[in-house]
Amino acid sequence: MSFILKYKSMEEKRDLPNDDYTIKDLLDDMDLSPQTIVSKQNGDLVIEDTVINDGDEIQLVQIIYGG
Amino acid sequence: MKCSKCGNPKVIIKREQSGQLLCKDCFIESIEKKVIKTVRKEKLLDKGDKVLVALSGGKDSVTTLEILNSFRKMNVIDICAVTVDEGIDNYRQDGVDIAIRHAKRLGIEHKVVSLKDEYGITLDEIMQRENHKGSCSYCGVFRRTIINKAAREMGATKIATGHNLDDEVQAIMMNYLEGNTDNLTKLGAKTESKAEEFTVKIKPLREIPEREIGIYVVAKELEVHFDSCPYAMQSFRGEVSEVINQLAEKHPTIKYSTLRGYDKIKGILKDGLEKDYAHGRCEKCGEPSANRLCKACSFLEELGCD
Ligand code: SF4
Ligand SMILES: [Zn+2]
Ligand SMILES: [Zn+2]
Repeated sequence: MSFILKYKSMEEKRDLPNDDYTIKDLLDDMDLSPQTIVSKQNGDLVIEDTVINDGDEIQLVQIIYGG
Repeated sequence: MKCSKCGNPKVIIKREQSGQLLCKDCFIESIEKKVIKTVRKEKLLDKGDKVLVALSGGKDSVTTLEILNSFRKMNVIDICAVTVDEGIDNYRQDGVDIAIRHAKRLGIEHKVVSLKDEYGITLDEIMQRENHKGSCSYCGVFRRTIINKAAREMGATKIATGHNLDDEVQAIMMNYLEGNTDNLTKLGAKTESKAEEFTVKIKPLREIPEREIGIYVVAKELEVHFDSCPYAMQSFRGEVSEVINQLAEKHPTIKYSTLRGYDKIKGILKDGLEKDYAHGRCEKCGEPSANRLCKACSFLEELGCD
């Protein structure tokens, strides 16, 4: 059970720790604030409560920067 | 989970302030409607206006251009744009290129003005100086001067900037906390200066949260420059913004109520506190100024760029 994570110029395969692992959990694990990020699941915008499935491509886009 | 408006199960946003869930199409529509409502309510546009959009290529200015363009398509206004190139290596060029592409796509008059061409010095060069006053002071003053000048040269009747709800609430709180009542009287959706050389400034995105503008450009697949300036650092504004965002987590309507409260007392503040307008002119460039030199010219003098 794994998914592809795309963030900035990074692309990596990550293991899914459990069945109901959400994007919110992923952001927490990466220490990113949901306030500054939008997420896409297989190309579609989704909210943070979305559960990540086996084989998903999850892309995180930082939309808020300081300055 | 379903869109609160149309029932579409593909929800892209949950609005903490209202509990509303929206799908992509309903979200895009709600943002555009809200901006148009602000424009009407605050009377930001008059028929026949030529609006100069201060177009950095970032999400806020691109959204401003995109939504104001709907008024242009209805032949209510004409639009032109100016992009200021401050001269920040490895950062600014991408935004400038994106701004050029948007102007081309929409077929509007567009001008890129660099600090180098205008004043013979880039922001990077200023930052090499020993006793500079911090990047953002120069950046803000020079940008404002260049935009005001471009408005006159291009015959614009209004200048539109991309200030969003977060920017406006930060400015209200900062000025209040600093006791800067003079600046506190100058905020609002439409800033009119008594000096006729200064074009009226409008902020069509003033009621849209910054995060929603970010989601809007991603949802609409608008090309924007998402990046942080290498000079951005811990500022008082940043600290105020952090506190407000922290409070907003438990109190999601706080930004709106701060804005509404300010709008209610703004008239009284203006009547009671607004300073008489200085009729002076800058000795060097002729811009309206309370002192011998305007801010831009006094910076240039200090930098030895005259
Ligand atoms: S953060 Fe960078 S771009 Fe923004 S005002 Fe400061 S120097 Fe200019
Ligand atoms: Zn919908
Ligand atoms: Zn001057």
